[in-house]
Amino acid sequence: MEVDLQAVRRVFEDVLNGRMLREQADRWAYAVVREEETGVVTYSPPGERERIWTGVMYLYGIDTKKAPDVYLHSNDDIREAMMAKLGWVVGDLAGDDSSGSRAAVAMLVRT
Amino acid sequence: MSVDDFRSQVDAASSDVGRRPDATAERSAFAAIVVQLRQTSPIDPNQRLSPERLHQIDRAFFGPFFREKYGTGGDKALENGRIRYYGPIQPANNAAELAGRRYVHEFDTITGCTRGWHETLDRMGNVRQVRPERRDGAMTHYQFDSNGRYRGSW
Repeated sequence: MEVDLQAVRRVFEDVLNGRMLREQADRWAYAVVREEETGVVTYSPPGERERIWTGVMYLYGIDTKKAPDVYLHSNDDIREAMMAKLGWVVGDLAGDDSSGSRAAVAMLVRT
Repeated sequence: MSVDDFRSQVDAASSDVGRRPDATAERSAFAAIVVQLRQTSPIDPNQRLSPERLHQIDRAFFGPFFREKYGTGGDKALENGRIRYYGPIQPANNAAELAGRRYVHEFDTITGCTRGWHETLDRMGNVRQVRPERRDGAMTHYQFDSNGRYRGSW
């Protein structure tokens, strides 16, 4: 399995845009973690391994809830995490929606 | 049931699977996924290492493998030969008394098995939710109050 920085960024972006459920993002990250346990994951670019892994580990569990129908993390939390861990800024996202049901357009700008 | 009781039940279930990799029966609703990493050199199961000794071994052998990946938030050697690696707390800024979540990865130095779960902590540092990674893929959140008493699950 090969995981690249763009793929991780895209998962964050898709979650924020409502194109991907948080549950799907969590399972995607879990698959990476499982593969990593067997030592067959390659990272692209190789020099970004730490940043990629940090992003994956944030996505793993991103669907954690604080109540049966309420996610623990707000979209603002996820946006901040994406900026901190991947170095990207998501702009032009409409408001915050912890239920993840609202779609919005993201403009990605490298910091 | 307290958080510690809950962890003991998870311990019992996962330890059993660790000794019998072919076991398929769902022994416990709390059973978490256990990954057999690799064969480790035989260790007398009656031999118990002190947490200090375990830490020394961890630093020399397991640390580079696990700590870098899962233990950036710290680690703890347990009396039962297991080492827990704590990920960083991923903050939740709008979750009232809840501060955030972290992933916990546990390595059993005796069986070579690993398992993991997500914990949600309050602002006092108490574990208020545990979400184990289960074999059947079901996602269940187990809730506890601020005193560690089990409140229920969904």
